[in-house]
Amino acid sequence: MNKHVDKRTVDMQVIGGWVEGDSRVLDLGCGAGALLDYLSQTKRISGVGVDMDPAKIAACVRRGVVAYQGDMTAFMRSFSEGHFDRIICSRTVHELSDPAEVILEALRAGRTLTVGFVNHGFWRNRLDSLFRGRKVRNVVYPTAWFESRPANPVTIADFEDFCAAKSIRVAHRVFLRGDWKTSCRFRPNLFAGYALYDLEKGQAVTC
Amino acid sequence: MTDDSEQAAGSAPGAPAPGGVGIVRPRDFVHPHAFQFKSGQQLPGFVLRYETYGALNTTRDNAVLIFHALSGDHHCAGWHSPEDRKPGWWDNLIGPGKAVDTGRFFVICANVLGGCQGSTGPSSVDPATGRPYGVTFPFVTILDMVRAQKLLLDHLGVAELHAVIGGSMGGMTAMLFAIEFPGFVRRVVAMATTARESAQAIAFNEIGRQAIMQDPAWNNGVYPADGGPRVGLAIARMMAHITYLSDASMDRKFGRKKKETAAGDGYTFDVQFEVESYLRHQGASFINRFDANSYLYITRALDQFDLAQAYGSLEKAYAPVQAETLILGFTSDWLFPPEQNRAIALALLRGGKRASYAELATDLGHDSFLLESEQLYGLVRGFLERERHEFDFAI
Repeated sequence: MNKHVDKRTVDMQVIGGWVEGDSRVLDLGCGAGALLDYLSQTKRISGVGVDMDPAKIAACVRRGVVAYQGDMTAFMRSFSEGHFDRIICSRTVHELSDPAEVILEALRAGRTLTVGFVNHGFWRNRLDSLFRGRKVRNVVYPTAWFESRPANPVTIADFEDFCAAKSIRVAHRVFLRGDWKTSCRFRPNLFAGYALYDLEKGQAVTC
Repeated sequence: MTDDSEQAAGSAPGAPAPGGVGIVRPRDFVHPHAFQFKSGQQLPGFVLRYETYGALNTTRDNAVLIFHALSGDHHCAGWHSPEDRKPGWWDNLIGPGKAVDTGRFFVICANVLGGCQGSTGPSSVDPATGRPYGVTFPFVTILDMVRAQKLLLDHLGVAELHAVIGGSMGGMTAMLFAIEFPGFVRRVVAMATTARESAQAIAFNEIGRQAIMQDPAWNNGVYPADGGPRVGLAIARMMAHITYLSDASMDRKFGRKKKETAAGDGYTFDVQFEVESYLRHQGASFINRFDANSYLYITRALDQFDLAQAYGSLEKAYAPVQAETLILGFTSDWLFPPEQNRAIALALLRGGKRASYAELATDLGHDSFLLESEQLYGLVRGFLERERHEFDFAI
């Protein structure tokens, strides 16, 4: 296993620990369907993925993962409240043009929402900007700016503020250090490379 | 089992397309018992003309049923003779090693009930009168087509379908098959289709019907086999043909190109533009292979098809479905646009079914589903051939 594959495993295992067996799961930005494939084999979930990229949908179909090509917000709007037991937004949230809209819609169509993202407040990412004066480039974001998709980098501090402002209840949070393995408890916004949130709709969610 | 369930396709020497199913022979399935239509009307029996490619396995569960569109027929792959100008209409998709691999699957395609390519329809002779049925033929619905084809499958000894596949009207028939015979179908591929036609699609069909019925030669549906409303049918086909294409594809193919024979100044109503000549050719060749009354019946069946209305809601309609579904929409299809294909996938998903949706970016219009596209082949092949696997990060 190379380093990249290893990082993917950690992410899946944490999410897998939160997913209930035989539940109905929606993966926003499902890519080639690796996470849903893993969850259906380990948790017997009935899953569906949404992605804009036709090549990713074809990859899902090949491996037997149910996938829908289209806009994730429009997709979620076609379902009744709480239709999905869990919606997963893993490494997608930083590419959304309107993250609040997607997250609030996901907390309507899903009973729970799992969000995972690379913490741009991680000290290495800060140093990268400070000393190199360039766009962050690492294993997860290997491309130069001119060949990258539009990004909306998010930090743990930003996300905590957002959840508080929208009264979103955080059922669990997991912060991982730069190796994406070891748990990080001390000043996560500075020392965590990766963050995972298990969210539920709060008492008063307003748009 | 009768002799006609044997493999019809073989690679005859000198077969026109190496890699295809070769020379094929259509067969007739005769259902000798009374058949009740949804309308309540009856036929004493019927014939379905069909072709098969590949071989049925010993467990009788590797069959793939192909449904054709409005003007299609049972000849979807291979050649009837080495002199044929063209192979079957979906030959690019179906054959040994192709997306629908006849080396693995036993592929069946039948001309629909009400059609005119060998199956019983309005142009067939009514045994009671000795004359063609004409408009005394029972009103045929998509459901009647589906039920008739199930009888063919029973006759062929098919225990379970690996898949049903169809585009346009074929997509309607494929979905309805999975609703009506849920335990019999494992997979459905429906493309460029709809759960019910929009007003625009009904409007186009109505113009086609009016062109036929306003032609004096239609004569209330009573006309000789070599006559009938040839002008009306040709106009219906010319108009419908435009709805199968797109502005972009017509512009690329014809643009404003003039016929070489066209008079220089253009002050004439003779053919001036390539596109006019093309449409006239489409109309003229259609009247030699299609029956005007069949066109009325089948377009009416298309218009009547409305799953939400028939079952109470789309979700209720799809409730019995056990098959996994792959719905494919095409961006430039303005007859059955992507939204209508998406609506099918979404309703299936709302009902907790396994349904995938992919949208292919083409500029070729409704007929995109027939065209050569590696992306389309990949989706169909991946959906038909995938097998259970252990989770593997490397995929």
